[in-house]
Amino acid sequence: MTPDPSVDPFAPPPGGWVRVSPRLAFVRRAIGLAVVLPIGLLVAAVLAVNDLAAIAAAVDAVTVLAAGWLFWVVGRQVRAIGYCERADDLVVTRGVMFRELVIVPYGRMQLVDVRGGPLARRYGMSTLQLHTAAATTDAAIPGLPVAEAGRLRDRLAALGEARTAGL
Amino acid sequence: MTELSTPPRRTHPLSPFAKAGQGLSGLVIAVFFFARDIPGGFFARLALVALLLIGAGLLGWVSWWRTTFWFDDDGDLRVASGLFYRNERRLQLSRLQSVEITRPLVARLVGLAEVRPEVAGGENAKIALAYLSEAEASSLRAELLARAAGVRVGHVDAPEPQERPLIRVPAGDLALSMALNHWVIIGTVLGAGFLLTSLLTGHIGGFLAFVFASGLPSLSIVNGYLAYYDFTVAESADGLRLRAGLLSTSSQTVPPGRVQAVRISQPLLWRWKGWVRVQLNVAGSGGHEGNDRSNGTRGSVMLLPVGPVEVAYGLLARVLPGVDIPGVTLVPAPRAARRRSPFQYSQLAAGSDAALFVARGGWLTRGLDVVPHARTQSVRVTQGPWQRLLGLATTHVDSTPGPVTPAARQRSGADARRLAESQAVLAGAARAASRPERWAARPEGTS
Repeated sequence: MTPDPSVDPFAPPPGGWVRVSPRLAFVRRAIGLAVVLPIGLLVAAVLAVNDLAAIAAAVDAVTVLAAGWLFWVVGRQVRAIGYCERADDLVVTRGVMFRELVIVPYGRMQLVDVRGGPLARRYGMSTLQLHTAAATTDAAIPGLPVAEAGRLRDRLAALGEARTAGL
Repeated sequence: MTELSTPPRRTHPLSPFAKAGQGLSGLVIAVFFFARDIPGGFFARLALVALLLIGAGLLGWVSWWRTTFWFDDDGDLRVASGLFYRNERRLQLSRLQSVEITRPLVARLVGLAEVRPEVAGGENAKIALAYLSEAEASSLRAELLARAAGVRVGHVDAPEPQERPLIRVPAGDLALSMALNHWVIIGTVLGAGFLLTSLLTGHIGGFLAFVFASGLPSLSIVNGYLAYYDFTVAESADGLRLRAGLLSTSSQTVPPGRVQAVRISQPLLWRWKGWVRVQLNVAGSGGHEGNDRSNGTRGSVMLLPVGPVEVAYGLLARVLPGVDIPGVTLVPAPRAARRRSPFQYSQLAAGSDAALFVARGGWLTRGLDVVPHARTQSVRVTQGPWQRLLGLATTHVDSTPGPVTPAARQRSGADARRLAESQAVLAGAARAASRPERWAARPEGTS
């Protein structure tokens, strides 16, 4: 029943994973808390005003627990993101509970996007998104420093151009 | 060098009427039944209908007049349309995946057809030329396919290539195969139960449940029968021709080398007949927004709605020449997979040879998914918590959107990663050897 530690399908490739910026965790936590806390506190306040102090306290407790859980999970998730440029393909990994590892051959990349929300940009990060002809490819690397994202995009585009072979 | 461009053309003058035919009856009914407040009674309503008809007709006619299509200097198809805001779209023929001709019922009655060239990844660039006369439609299809293949035809019509019929699905087999659907049987049994309770207790609820449980599956039988009636596959120089339909008919041409993945499946009750169904992933094919008359959902092509296994493999030999699907050695999933997927455990197996990746699975409906290495887009390994506990993982081989989503499910962890790595290497090697896009073009410098 217990998995053999040597049998890890998500073992890093030779050279190891390049991890993304820890500031991604900060940004994601900030966004998550900005949603969870006001909603929880607002609901609790409305309940308290209506003389339901006990339920309001419970809601407060749940909100604090949810915020703590979010704080912890986001950190783990961000630490689990990694990528590696190999000779013929790019490998991207992510996920803690549901783990995923994607291998995208350079010749299959149709489009490489760099995007970033206002908060991510404020902290100097971008998301690199790879597109192939398959909708299921789903290879995005969030939390890249802007310069690194640009470098990676140009390199991938050049490699893709050199190796593209139709569909 | 021949001239590539052609002068602009228009679709058939009857097009606006054929298009309007579908919405018209609804409009007339709506006016007569919902506009009771109009003073003057019947004749006022009649006048309103006439006015609306004239308005709609005028609008339809002007938009028809404003829509033209032609081949540009690069030999690509251009379509200009739009009443007030002009809109010009370009279809890059080097990316042409297939051409479909459909004949919706109304258009079919007046001898018109719609031509739909399909390009890869062209979600926002759907082009449908509606309607052309049937002769014009088939000559345009031949021209599109010839130009896409790199044959420089200029403005002379490309000859429609000769066809050789391969198979035809008998109507009786089709009807039986649609009825032999386990969901239909389950629905009918459930429905009969509901009907019985309804009769015994006198409640209307049971009757409604009966209508849902038995009616919806029966509808799917009728739909499938209408869509795949007289399904024929023919071979021609520009690809495989797939034709089907009882009321609305469609005819689809898949050029060689455009098939991305194949799924051979067998629902539970087909086993005793030895029947299978064959579906293809073809980039950018089918699945138009709005009314979906075409062959299935996006990226999906039905190669054989029902047929014996030998017939299926015979067809597949033409779609994927030079491959041996039954010859690929399949490795069964490890014993631990029984705890994760008890129902399909006995079917779970996957393997690959020099040309193909093959994965088997499924419980009620068993299936075999096939992807040529040269068509592999990317490879993924995934693992959920329950899989991790059992030391299992799944290797997905990503194909273009469509009915085939190949994956070697519930492999042992190390095996899943090894499979993924070897698939990525095989895909790279096969791509280097794959054929050019314009497969009929002469080598450079000779044109």
